[in-house]
Amino acid sequence: MKLNRKYLPPAFFNGSQPYRWAVLLCLLAWAVTAGACRQPSVEGILRIGLPEEPRTLNVWLASDAASRTVLRQIYQPLYEDDPETLEPVPWLAAALPVYDAARLTYTITLRPAHWSDGTPLTSSDVAFTARMIQEFKIPMLSSRWKQVERIETPDAATVVVHLKRPLATFLSRTLEAAIVPAHQWEPIAQAARESAKPLAYLLNYNMKDPVGSGPFLFKQWRRGDYLYLQRNPHYFATGQTIADRKMGPYIEGLLFKVYGTTDVAMLALRQGDIDMFWQGIQPGYVAILNKNPHIKVFDSQKSALYYMGMNTRRPPFSDVHLRRAVALMIDKGFLVDRLLQGRGTQLFSIIPPGNRQWHNPDVPRYGEGLKYRERLRRAYELLLSAGYSWEMPPFGSQGDIQSAKGLRRPDGTPMGKVIILTPPADYDPARAISGTMIQEWLQALGIPAMARPMEFSALIDQIKNRRDFDAFILGYGRLSIDPDYLGSFFESSGDKTRGLNTSGYRNETFDRLAEESQCAMDPVIRHQMIMEMQRIIMEDVPYVPLYVPNMIEAAYTARFDGWVPMLDGIGNRWSINMVRPTSGRHD
Amino acid sequence: MMSLNRYILRRLIEIGISFFVILTLLFFLFHLAPGDPVARMVNPNLSAEDEARLIAHMGLDLPLGQQYLRFVGNFFTGEFGVSFHYGQPVAEIIADRLPNTILLFTTAVILSALAGVWLGKIVAWRKGQPLDTAVTIGALVCHTLFLPWIAMLMIWLFGYRWGWFPITGMISPEIWIDPHSGWASKGLDILYHMVLPLLTLFLVHFGSYLLIMRSSMLETLGEDYIYTARAKGLPEKVIRDHHASPNAALPVITSVGLSLAFSINGGALTEKVFSWPGIGRELVSAVSYNDYPLALTCFLLIAAVVLAANLVVDVMYAFLDPRIRY
Repeated sequence: MKLNRKYLPPAFFNGSQPYRWAVLLCLLAWAVTAGACRQPSVEGILRIGLPEEPRTLNVWLASDAASRTVLRQIYQPLYEDDPETLEPVPWLAAALPVYDAARLTYTITLRPAHWSDGTPLTSSDVAFTARMIQEFKIPMLSSRWKQVERIETPDAATVVVHLKRPLATFLSRTLEAAIVPAHQWEPIAQAARESAKPLAYLLNYNMKDPVGSGPFLFKQWRRGDYLYLQRNPHYFATGQTIADRKMGPYIEGLLFKVYGTTDVAMLALRQGDIDMFWQGIQPGYVAILNKNPHIKVFDSQKSALYYMGMNTRRPPFSDVHLRRAVALMIDKGFLVDRLLQGRGTQLFSIIPPGNRQWHNPDVPRYGEGLKYRERLRRAYELLLSAGYSWEMPPFGSQGDIQSAKGLRRPDGTPMGKVIILTPPADYDPARAISGTMIQEWLQALGIPAMARPMEFSALIDQIKNRRDFDAFILGYGRLSIDPDYLGSFFESSGDKTRGLNTSGYRNETFDRLAEESQCAMDPVIRHQMIMEMQRIIMEDVPYVPLYVPNMIEAAYTARFDGWVPMLDGIGNRWSINMVRPTSGRHD
Repeated sequence: MMSLNRYILRRLIEIGISFFVILTLLFFLFHLAPGDPVARMVNPNLSAEDEARLIAHMGLDLPLGQQYLRFVGNFFTGEFGVSFHYGQPVAEIIADRLPNTILLFTTAVILSALAGVWLGKIVAWRKGQPLDTAVTIGALVCHTLFLPWIAMLMIWLFGYRWGWFPITGMISPEIWIDPHSGWASKGLDILYHMVLPLLTLFLVHFGSYLLIMRSSMLETLGEDYIYTARAKGLPEKVIRDHHASPNAALPVITSVGLSLAFSINGGALTEKVFSWPGIGRELVSAVSYNDYPLALTCFLLIAAVVLAANLVVDVMYAFLDPRIRY
């Protein structure tokens, strides 16, 4: 067929012959490649989008979300949280552990299980894992095993753990850690012991083929592109009923694909290139995702804490009255409605309400439901009675609101500039804008506040290492269900360089409760203590809890369905065990 | 030729000194910036003691001077260290990602340079005609396109809307995990994935080559030897292709040489939007994670290649233009 001259640019004919050939070749190449690259059948393979490349397959180094998502399918714990009650249920263990208060021991019986290479999983694997964490003081894990004195393995299915002292978090924190195979890790641990830097050797060990006991086993990893796991034929839970669920997995494999941006991942989801994106998404995407009938959007509560911390070590926030006034001025409803587009919860205590078991609703709830004028009036009266004075107070003689000026502290010194440090908007727009809003609210009260976004690691450096700041806005995106962290955040012992007690809060009653609650083996007593600790913190407000954004997730349900929503969303161990091909559900 | 050798030797010494200065500056810039590699791991399970242990494990607890000496010593013995983030030797990570970047970006530079030179030559020859105006404006528009925007547009239109090309990535994992896939289908798969990013980079880059070539060509057209060639009665095509363009191409060569050198750093934005597993994306994340060994080695690799490319371009001048002697 001859090309019509009229529709082509003159250069097409004036140029040299190779030009035409190039065009034809390109077309041909495209036709061939497009033809050849028809996607082969991936039936039974669940495709999951990840926002970042997994860091490693070495379980001791895996501190990032992507690696952990992958490794959670491979390594299994003894106990796992029930999706409804959030209470620990036996996983690799056959039953809940038996505690002997007199001897300070926990006895755990294991289910019959095998590693993915076919060798049996025994009590010695459990003991090995614990000893390895203790011996190498593996970061993030070692503190959980610190109170373990020794471990006995009377038989292959029984583990007896001797504690140094009673530890209330032993079941919910320590026993929910993953177990690794001794036969794979023992030679590595031995080599690490003989090296100059054992911990460095262990963390930098290039684990290429992790042997696990989970529903999937490692198959292939092309860095930057994908990671492929195949169904583990030796998986102990297949066909078993745990927490009233008949465990699968009902799929043949898991294919993790890495996406550079969420925008593109959302296009991939809408097109069905992935079946789920394993990461919370911004509320802005929900409307467009909802238009696709195959996409299901899950909106779950999160165990998270977004808060404003104040430096109680130095003025002005060393004064509890000022902190309370600040807490009063912050309109959490506004932050949730406007910044989170309603997809979130206002937070009035450190433990979020999604953690039903441990949340204390009965604490001072600063400013809840109050209108702007009422907040301002209460905060003003609070500061006035504490001895603060103004050149121009926020209320005029007629009770009209005016711009407050010249705030002086009770000792007569003028209130200096107060800087609120926030992460930058590209890191988290909600926190950055919250800073600006809080700045406005504090200025209305006469506090010369200024929000300052700062590069994230510089911000952490300023708060945790230099400890030189007035206030900051940060968040913990994923808190454990056990409220053990409450103590870590506010115990006096954590008020040190790199410590978690960033606001430098010190309170002896709180310290004592935190200490005792760790050893309170009676759940009722521990519960009371945790409630009381929350109340104390909200009385003194070193942190003003702001909000918890919802976990918004999306799944493409044309191929697979059966996701299990729970606290923190559908990206959990239960989902992976329960998800099944949609077509097989019609029977 | 002797003088050329001496010139090269002198330049090599200069390059060595520049490289050492760059290395020193980069090292201190990274280490003196606030924050450290554990800062980003805000986690209630990470105690202050854990953090201190991690810092020691990375060797960051030593005095800065000592760290520097150690770094320099290791670097020049080919020991680039272990990435803090991946826990993997830096050399391995770079060796893993660099080919992907070179494949995409070097191809893009070469293609857009060839097209730019070729089209620039033609439009300069037809200066003032509608074709020239249209192409020049087109080139200017392309040159000023905002890359992430055009990349997203390409993905949306060709990938999502019309489904002609895969939306992102370098490969289809579905093909690669299939044991029946042969090398041919894997190779074609990469080509198929390359089309959109390549087209985007081509659009953004070819405009500048075209404009350089066009203006350089226009300068050449006023030269005496062109009049001579015309006076000899040579065909226009011969004058253009054999007399004018070899001389006009010199500035383009410099530009292409440097672009090729910089192409090893990839483009963080392009790689991010197209989920291309290259070095540019790695570089950005290494900087944000304070992964000093990886970030430093990436930057130093770029510095070395760019310094070398400068030298190569200079030497090439001597060969391409016999009038130039050092």
